[in-house]
Amino acid sequence: MSSKVHENDLYGTNFSVESIKVIAESIGIANLQDEAAKELSDEISFRLKHIIQDAAKFMHHGKRVKLMQSDIDCALRAKNIEPQYGFQSSEYLPFRFASGGGRELHFLEEAEVDLNDLIQNLNPKAPYEVTLRTHWLSIDGIQPTIPENPPPASKSMQRLESVDPINKKPMKETSGKPTTGKQKLKNVETVQIKQLATHELSVEQQLYYKEITEACVGSDEGRRAEALQSLASDPGLHEMLPRMCTFIIEGVRVNVVQNNLALLIYLMRMVKALLDNQSLYLEKYLHELIPAVTTCIVSKQLCMRPEFDNHWALRDFASRLMAQICKNFNTSTNNIQTRITRMFTNALNQGEKMPLSSMYGALQALSELGPEVVRIFILPRVKMIGARIEQHLEASAVSNVDKIASGHIKQLMIKALVPVLKSIRPPPDYIDEYTQEYGYFGPLLNSGVSKARTQPNPTTLSSSSNANSASAITSVASTISRPMPTPTIIQQNNIGGRTIVMNPGVGRVSTQVSNQKIVVLTQRPPVSSNQINQIQNQQIPSSQQNTVVKLVSSSNTPVQQKLVNSQQKMVLVGNVNSSQGLNSSGQQNMSFMMQKTNMNIHKINSDVFSHVDDLSHLE
Amino acid sequence: MILYPVLVHMYLELVYNGHTEKAISLMRTFGPEQDTYYQDDLKKLAIVTKREHMSGNELTDTFKSNQFIIRMSRDTLSLLKRHLNDKKASVLLNIIQEHLYFDMYEGVARNKSQIDATSGAVGGEAKRQDNKAKVYYGIPKAPDIQTLAAPVEEEEGEGADQDNPEKPKKKKAKKDPLFSKKTKSDPNAPPPDRIPAPDLKDNDKLEKVKAIREASRRVTLGPETLPSVCCYTLLNANHSVCCAEITEDSSMLAVGFNDSIVKVWSLVPQKLKALKSAQQLQEVNIEAEDLMVRIMNERTGEVSRTLAGHSGPVYSVSFSPDRTLLLSCSEDATIRLWSLQIWTCLVVYKGHLFPIWDVKFSPLGYYFATASHDRTARLWATDHYSPLRLFAGHFSDVDCVQFHPNSNYVATGSSDRRVCLWDCTTGNHVRLMTGHKAPIHSLAFSVCGRFLASSGADCRVLIWDLSHGHLVAELTGHEKAVHTLTFSRCGNILCSGGLDCCLKVWDFSKITEDISSEEVNVSHNPDVKTGEQYLLRDFATKSSPLINLHFTRRNLLLAVAAFDGTNP
Repeated sequence: MSSKVHENDLYGTNFSVESIKVIAESIGIANLQDEAAKELSDEISFRLKHIIQDAAKFMHHGKRVKLMQSDIDCALRAKNIEPQYGFQSSEYLPFRFASGGGRELHFLEEAEVDLNDLIQNLNPKAPYEVTLRTHWLSIDGIQPTIPENPPPASKSMQRLESVDPINKKPMKETSGKPTTGKQKLKNVETVQIKQLATHELSVEQQLYYKEITEACVGSDEGRRAEALQSLASDPGLHEMLPRMCTFIIEGVRVNVVQNNLALLIYLMRMVKALLDNQSLYLEKYLHELIPAVTTCIVSKQLCMRPEFDNHWALRDFASRLMAQICKNFNTSTNNIQTRITRMFTNALNQGEKMPLSSMYGALQALSELGPEVVRIFILPRVKMIGARIEQHLEASAVSNVDKIASGHIKQLMIKALVPVLKSIRPPPDYIDEYTQEYGYFGPLLNSGVSKARTQPNPTTLSSSSNANSASAITSVASTISRPMPTPTIIQQNNIGGRTIVMNPGVGRVSTQVSNQKIVVLTQRPPVSSNQINQIQNQQIPSSQQNTVVKLVSSSNTPVQQKLVNSQQKMVLVGNVNSSQGLNSSGQQNMSFMMQKTNMNIHKINSDVFSHVDDLSHLE
Repeated sequence: MILYPVLVHMYLELVYNGHTEKAISLMRTFGPEQDTYYQDDLKKLAIVTKREHMSGNELTDTFKSNQFIIRMSRDTLSLLKRHLNDKKASVLLNIIQEHLYFDMYEGVARNKSQIDATSGAVGGEAKRQDNKAKVYYGIPKAPDIQTLAAPVEEEEGEGADQDNPEKPKKKKAKKDPLFSKKTKSDPNAPPPDRIPAPDLKDNDKLEKVKAIREASRRVTLGPETLPSVCCYTLLNANHSVCCAEITEDSSMLAVGFNDSIVKVWSLVPQKLKALKSAQQLQEVNIEAEDLMVRIMNERTGEVSRTLAGHSGPVYSVSFSPDRTLLLSCSEDATIRLWSLQIWTCLVVYKGHLFPIWDVKFSPLGYYFATASHDRTARLWATDHYSPLRLFAGHFSDVDCVQFHPNSNYVATGSSDRRVCLWDCTTGNHVRLMTGHKAPIHSLAFSVCGRFLASSGADCRVLIWDLSHGHLVAELTGHEKAVHTLTFSRCGNILCSGGLDCCLKVWDFSKITEDISSEEVNVSHNPDVKTGEQYLLRDFATKSSPLINLHFTRRNLLLAVAAFDGTNP
């Protein structure tokens, strides 16, 4: 449209001769002379600039920084130019005039509305009426932290502060005391000295901290959800951040030793909530949070009974957190992603010494960091890993724990590698080549890749969303309910068999696919001889190739309904022996949520069966 | 200092004679070297490249028809003249002769920062002659002991003596302790009868008494006691709010919208009621004590009311001191007077030819002033269809207008970057103050009447001393245009707010202290106080540009802001 010129040029841009010609042609004037076009372009540019300058006045008086079409309209009106084309001004006066029978009448016009439109709701949404909201901006010079006011320290300020502490404002708004000019002068003189950070929390903040931490690790799921919501959205938390972080890392430290899986999950959910909070900038605390999260990924043992408990879900969840941290905070100076990748790769290099569970964690964390990481760091080691898990899977004498772990690793490897292989290997997939290159995984990968190739996009999408799962992780709408004898984190009770079933599935973006958000509820039937009487599978065809499976348990009221990706085989969930069933089935894409219902029964059963008393649903 | 006007005139001369190419290359070469505050004008000039463009262009007309005023010491001027003569620069000499006016003074030459402080206006600096007239900037005190500090009260005193002898007695008891100290009359105050004002009604007197009582409970603000701020945020406004105003007693808020509507909200529990119908009014006992209550129709109470009548964006609203009338001005070049008792339009004042940017009621009521795109400000009385005074002299739009607390003067701020003070009785300008670098959007007089604060698109707040028209302080810190200014009722604090969603509190008592320690006269400019040393605090709002600020009688600061959800 217009030729580019230097930015600071006083002359700015003009209409080019070409555009004038095009405009001329559009109104039926062919062969406009070059000179005429030049004249016209100069003239038009001048007029337009003039009008825009005038329109800017109307914008300023409208107390805006955005020029609107009404401003142009007004400028034209002031110049006595009829508004052209698109900028026809709407009528300002709501009155209409009518006369007849010697009488003149002004009335407010009411538009006719088509009833059909109204019923079918076709009408555009009416704009909201302007309303007045009253709030305190400052009380005796102190700005209260309420939703109507901006957060005390903006995110960019926090970022600046964490990069360069000297930038910290000499006068801290939140300190509460109004400073006088004299005090400020002093500050100017001593500006090089780092200010002492005041870490006094008000009584309200202390109360808040106590309530939040108790709720986050307590037994009341409803309160936990509220607390996490508050952590994820409250704008004024940055003052409490050091304490929150300490709470989390201490909690992880203690509970890893005690293998308290549930609490570790709660703490990771707190990390997730803090990461999700738009007004917080966590960089200052990453050196504390990253080790804690890493612990939850690669720790050798995270739960009391590794063969039954689903600590895999925690590892998966923590891996996603790690990926999110990398994505949010990686800069060229701190190289977080590089360092984390190196850390996990080094772990993989330990070879035989490393427990399989840690290996799973490291692999999972790496696979979350993206396909590129998978290609460079996992692919070369496939053969080695395959050899190692082969001996556990094939040999019959090894412990159950190792076998389960190997199964998980196998699943994970296939899930992570298939999309990568699909993209880097040319189409003909020969099973021999695969076996040659990838050893034990060869045939599996081969079948996976060829399957992926035959399938249209959705599959690859769902698995590759692993890679960028950081963005895909949406808020954890989870419900964990379980009895907690004490609501503190150093809690030490050993409830006999505890199984945690979580959703280890990673490939789904639950908020984006509308038909995936059905939650599963199952209830333990009131007697110990509970068995599923009836499993009713209903297949509902859906665009996402998902199946809805309905499980009706014996007590017939609780109905379980869930969605499973069609590629997988459906599985079943029982109650009593369900934990084993689940674990061995190794379902990756199932989301489960169960609710503990009856404590008494739990007690009765506890000596006989292992129990599902802790359920979570992390995605 | 003289380069800019010379460049402009050379450019215009070239354009006028048809040497467009040469003109453009001249501007390209030398334009960017000029002071930053001239760049906007140069940009506007640069769009003029043909002779035909020059007619009707505001800026070129101004340069053609007015001399650019430059203040210069005698020595500098003679040096300049000698230099030009030596060089035989006849073109330059011609331009200087024709279009420049040197306001020569005896004394030392100024340095660059001193020049920068006062330059920037379209027509150059103000002449000393402009600021020689005497200004009665004081607040008149009545000789009568029981009258009050403001001029309105003294009217009341007189009125009361005539038709209501028991009134003053009642007041005397209350006011004596409070006001006995203030009886000394201010030498700078105008004579009380300089401006004729309407007599006060009984109701107004009651109101005054109430105001005094309220004021006695006022918190004196200062650096140690910062004001509390109550913010009224307008939600769902989406760029549609143009202006807002709060009544003197902080009971009502009026907001003018882009879509020609004026809305009035009640800020107190009392609802906005309408008068009873004429028939019902006849039944009201006019002897009753609570007549004012009785005439209102209780059933019509509403929290907010809408006034429709304009046919363009409403750019300003102003309440009358007695809260029964509201003025609004609009893009449709009319001013409307609304009754807040029957909630209809009473009068449409036509006279301006172009959109009206600002309207203000006088502190006495009755008079009001307007500022318009037609480069004039006008003084009106509510009972006259045509303006009483026409203040012409600005080179560009008059953007804002403000009454002096003693009602004898009107200050205007314009897009030509000059602040002007006009005498209401004569219609002459008595002060002309230059120093702003961008259009002026807001003006406020200090409580003592001696200082004027102005602010605008150049993000600065300037403080002027009206006694000689000097710039005394420059408050920087805002990041976007400053649209509202207000002084606390005690006069110690100045508050400013604007598009940068930030409310700043300045220590005005410290400024006056620093000023009074310096000796000033007409020709000697005092040093301009700058920097952030006067800033006490700033309060950010949540992406809500501030529209208006208002101190209640007890010194609680009320802020009106419009939430803008589109900018994060």
